[in-house]
Amino acid sequence: MYLLRAIQKGADGVYVVGCLEGTCHYNEGNFRASERVKHVQMLLEEVGLEGDRVRMYNLSSGEGPTFAAYAKEMTEHIRKLGPNRLNK
Amino acid sequence: MIVAKRKPFEEIKEMLKGYKKVLNVGCGTCVAVCLAGGEKEVDVLNIELDMAGKLDENPIELGAMTIERQCDREYLEALDPLVDDYDAILSMACGAGIQFLAERYPHKPIFPAVDTTFIGVNQGVGWYEERCRSCGSCVLGLTGGICPVTMCAKGLYNGPCGGTNKGSCEIDKDQPCAWYLIYERLSRQGRLDNILKFSPATDWQNQIPRTLIQPGYKKSEEV
Amino acid sequence: MAYAIDLDTCVGCGLCENMCMAKAIKYNDEEHETNVRVGSIILSPGTQGFDPTGYDIWGYGRFPNVVTSEGFERILSAGGPYFGHVMRPLDREEPKRIAWLQCVGSRDTHRCGNDYCSSVCCMYAVKEAMIAKEHIHGDIDTVIFYMDMRTVGKDYEKYFLRARDKDGVRFVKSRVHSIDEIPETGDLTVTYADESGNIIEEIFSMVVLSVGLTIPDTAIELANRLDIDLNKNNFVKTGPFTPVATSRPGIYTCGVFQGPKDIPGSVIEASAAACLAGADLSEARGKDTKVIELPKQKDITGEEPRIGVFVCNCGINIGGIIDVTSVQDYSAKLPNVVFTDQNLFTCSQDTQEKIKEKIKEHNLNRVVVASCSPKTHEPMFMETLEACGLNRYLFEMANIRNQDSWIHSKTPDLATQKAKDLVRMSVARAAALNPLKEKIINVIQRALVIGGGIAGMNSALSLAHQGFDVVILEKDRELGGFSRKLIHTIEGGDVQAYIKELIGKISAHHRINILKEANVTAFGGYKGNFTTDVIVGPDKEKHIIKHGVIIVATGANEYQPHEYLYGDDDRVMTQVELADRLENKGASDLKNIVMIQCVGSRNDENQECSRICCQSAIKNALDVKESNPDAQVFILYRDIRTYGLLEGFYTEARRKGVIFIQYKQDNPPDVQADSQGLFVTVRDHVLERDIRIQTDLLALSTGFVAADTEKLSRIMKLNRNPEGYFLEAHVKLRPVDMPGDGIFLCGTAHGPKLISEAISQAQAAASRATTFLANSEIKLSAITAKVDIEHCVKCLTCVRSCPFEVPVFNLTEKVIEIDEAMCHGCGVCAGVCPRQAIQLSFYEDDQIACKIDALLAGGM
Repeated sequence: MYLLRAIQKGADGVYVVGCLEGTCHYNEGNFRASERVKHVQMLLEEVGLEGDRVRMYNLSSGEGPTFAAYAKEMTEHIRKLGPNRLNK
Repeated sequence: MIVAKRKPFEEIKEMLKGYKKVLNVGCGTCVAVCLAGGEKEVDVLNIELDMAGKLDENPIELGAMTIERQCDREYLEALDPLVDDYDAILSMACGAGIQFLAERYPHKPIFPAVDTTFIGVNQGVGWYEERCRSCGSCVLGLTGGICPVTMCAKGLYNGPCGGTNKGSCEIDKDQPCAWYLIYERLSRQGRLDNILKFSPATDWQNQIPRTLIQPGYKKSEEV
Repeated sequence: MAYAIDLDTCVGCGLCENMCMAKAIKYNDEEHETNVRVGSIILSPGTQGFDPTGYDIWGYGRFPNVVTSEGFERILSAGGPYFGHVMRPLDREEPKRIAWLQCVGSRDTHRCGNDYCSSVCCMYAVKEAMIAKEHIHGDIDTVIFYMDMRTVGKDYEKYFLRARDKDGVRFVKSRVHSIDEIPETGDLTVTYADESGNIIEEIFSMVVLSVGLTIPDTAIELANRLDIDLNKNNFVKTGPFTPVATSRPGIYTCGVFQGPKDIPGSVIEASAAACLAGADLSEARGKDTKVIELPKQKDITGEEPRIGVFVCNCGINIGGIIDVTSVQDYSAKLPNVVFTDQNLFTCSQDTQEKIKEKIKEHNLNRVVVASCSPKTHEPMFMETLEACGLNRYLFEMANIRNQDSWIHSKTPDLATQKAKDLVRMSVARAAALNPLKEKIINVIQRALVIGGGIAGMNSALSLAHQGFDVVILEKDRELGGFSRKLIHTIEGGDVQAYIKELIGKISAHHRINILKEANVTAFGGYKGNFTTDVIVGPDKEKHIIKHGVIIVATGANEYQPHEYLYGDDDRVMTQVELADRLENKGASDLKNIVMIQCVGSRNDENQECSRICCQSAIKNALDVKESNPDAQVFILYRDIRTYGLLEGFYTEARRKGVIFIQYKQDNPPDVQADSQGLFVTVRDHVLERDIRIQTDLLALSTGFVAADTEKLSRIMKLNRNPEGYFLEAHVKLRPVDMPGDGIFLCGTAHGPKLISEAISQAQAAASRATTFLANSEIKLSAITAKVDIEHCVKCLTCVRSCPFEVPVFNLTEKVIEIDEAMCHGCGVCAGVCPRQAIQLSFYEDDQIACKIDALLAGGM
């Protein structure tokens, strides 16, 4: 819901960052999250937007540089996709 | 429980073409339980429609309201003050609810947002299986609690057809033969004699909508 | 200490002292003595890796591409010299082939004199090889040269098998002769002798030395000053039944100073040492703590939000990048904001006082702090709110340091813009916050210990020493568990005398209630307030026990073999039975004894290693040799796993002439009995031929099987692994806590282990339970899920989705209930509820949605 809402309100991209698979404090929370993200991707495609505007990344809290790398990757990726067409 | 499935988005969008103001009505009972048409699904669909409208430069104004049950007049009443503000109504209820809604507001175009699929059971979160076809003449007492109408591809009341194949149905080897299951269960219960009892087939021909009044609930003028 | 100055690099200008706005640096600070009066002491000075410099064989220090395992950890680390990219030091090339050399500085009497096993190197080498493979996607050859693979911990064997069979890490049993550099390439030639004694050379791009654990000189000096006895390898001398007590009363130890061990072992001992240290002082518990008196909470219902925004400079951390004044001015214009301020250090003591004044002066009913991470500072600010009568949940933080100034230091204008966005979001959320009430529950000051073996009894006794009532359940008629069958430990500790004394102590203790022949029949409640129904004794008397914590100590049993004629021939027995025989009849009548290792362990039915059977075999072998030096003892093994200080007994056994013959899993020994006697045939891998041994006795080193706790785990909803051992909350960091609050685990119910290890884990469980019981009441987090029963359709989606099985359908009230004492606040139920009838307090839908809206309303 929050993901959809962000895109609806004009975000160009949203990424969800979870712990590494299998290490979630709430057991299976990050598996669920990744399922939700896939679902939202599908919904966006249905609507005619690029599903890939939302993504899920996994890393542990000790991986600052990886986080930065993912952030850069996501930014690059969204730049390639161009702005959210809802913002016209 | 009645199980329904959200219609493909394209189909919903197509139906709503040309309408500027649409009220999306959720139903808080069966379709909410099967995760197809409660408050959450109404919100998700509305966000989708909103985004799609903007993308097509044909924005739709959307309203949202989920009522307890669309198959009860008293609950529908809550919509009365809202309906006139909208060009059309989208319903996320089962086929019965949608029709009842359409009856109440005969002047409004009413559109279904879900396909009513079957009467079934909940095997887990988001996982449903059909168990009943509402044939109107239940034989479960004779068949060890396994419905031949639903579980047999041909809906046979009195034993298997020639296609039964080592416990599987001829249409698909992963689909068990209902009558094989019935035989197994009755024999384990020592009630195999039941299998010989004859059940007249339901006459599905010329079926008109059925009405049921539970005994003791008839109103005086109907007696 | 947050930061230290590297004196090798510092030029001594002292500028840092002048620059530090918080005046936190004393550049000319000197070492000084402080006197602290304490009741007990715990020594945990840790370890340092063995330094292989100067030993010719390894070439460390001479060949750049030979690194220690510690060095390789740094190479793998994202914060390391190559930012997590695996490169070799010489030319920063990605290595194609890496070799690990095990036992560098361990199990080595003639080079460095360390005759112990460091216990951790096998596992970390496997881990490093796996991570190297993960980091270098594609082709990399990883080879581990070892003597015995010692993957003895819980689930370690599975990890080893995964590395070997699935991830293609190669394991070579060998003795390494030398390492030579190929000068042109920097590659290294490893020359080694394989199992049959053939000399083989292989070339690697890099060699990692799996260095062992040693005790630093400073720790030895400390022990000498404190007059603590050390053993010949400088580990603290402890007893088999007193694993964390030093030779001096009141002084305890834990971690590697006690003996080589891994992280879970160290964490367990740390808690055990804390338990004993705390028990000595239990009468004084809570005496020196101060209670903070809080003013009555102000009722803000019906009030319009009045938000105060405090923007932090964090010295130059934020202020050096972000234009804090501009952020402050911006925030003043946001809706509902009635006061703004900026501080040099918002977290300082005087700023807290200032915030309190401002809250009162401007009658603020919501507070936003724009500074750093809520992870570290939110609780402190929340306390500030409470101190002036404002509900702690009327607080919101914007992280403009970690999430902004630190990462966007090169683009200050954009960073300032982002800070404004973050503050706008926080202000929007603050307006949507509501006061929340934290439920306070009483803690029943009683523990239930399930299992009356060595672990259960020790945890019960430790808790009683801490001053808590304990009920201990034993399913048999006698206390003692599996240890009743044991004679002595490998060190010579008399097990029967020990458990007799232990039973005497717990039976005599007025705080301990022992229930024998007890079976749990029902269980309910939550942390601090459990209720367990138990059927006790031959008359099946029903007891209802109310308790605040649970310690699970259900133990394990010896595997009952069906292999090798066990049960068919009286001459075939288990190690436990052999120990019994040696105790009663000695070994003077025996000429030949054969022992077979890994019976019922490390096979297809039970992949895990049972940890203790190697030492059991060696213990009995030494006993045989003691009683009859002429008797021949053959131990047929796969890997000898005498980890830690047990290695000394392995060395002693070899010295006394015990013969060790390795066999392979796919070619196990063959046992035949006929009128001539009992014959064992085994393939010797050095001679490469079959050896047939006539033996008087065959002892099977049988592993452990977890006690049958199927019913118990179902009733109490406690999870077990496929082998039937209970699951801890975190394998490494929380080895005695179970996932549910107030439930702890110890002894062989957790996994196979020695008596000394079971005792320290029992004391650890008691320690963890004490921290819980020490509070007579606990405040629950208000961040829990709440069900709107008016709109709930009882669809059970939440019941089925909760990872902790908290939502339930209440059969009497006919509603779905979420017990706030059990809810972990993860929000899964709120997310899945099809009717949006569940909200997670403090993270309600509108409290999150408004943040998204506020962010995007600013335009991207």
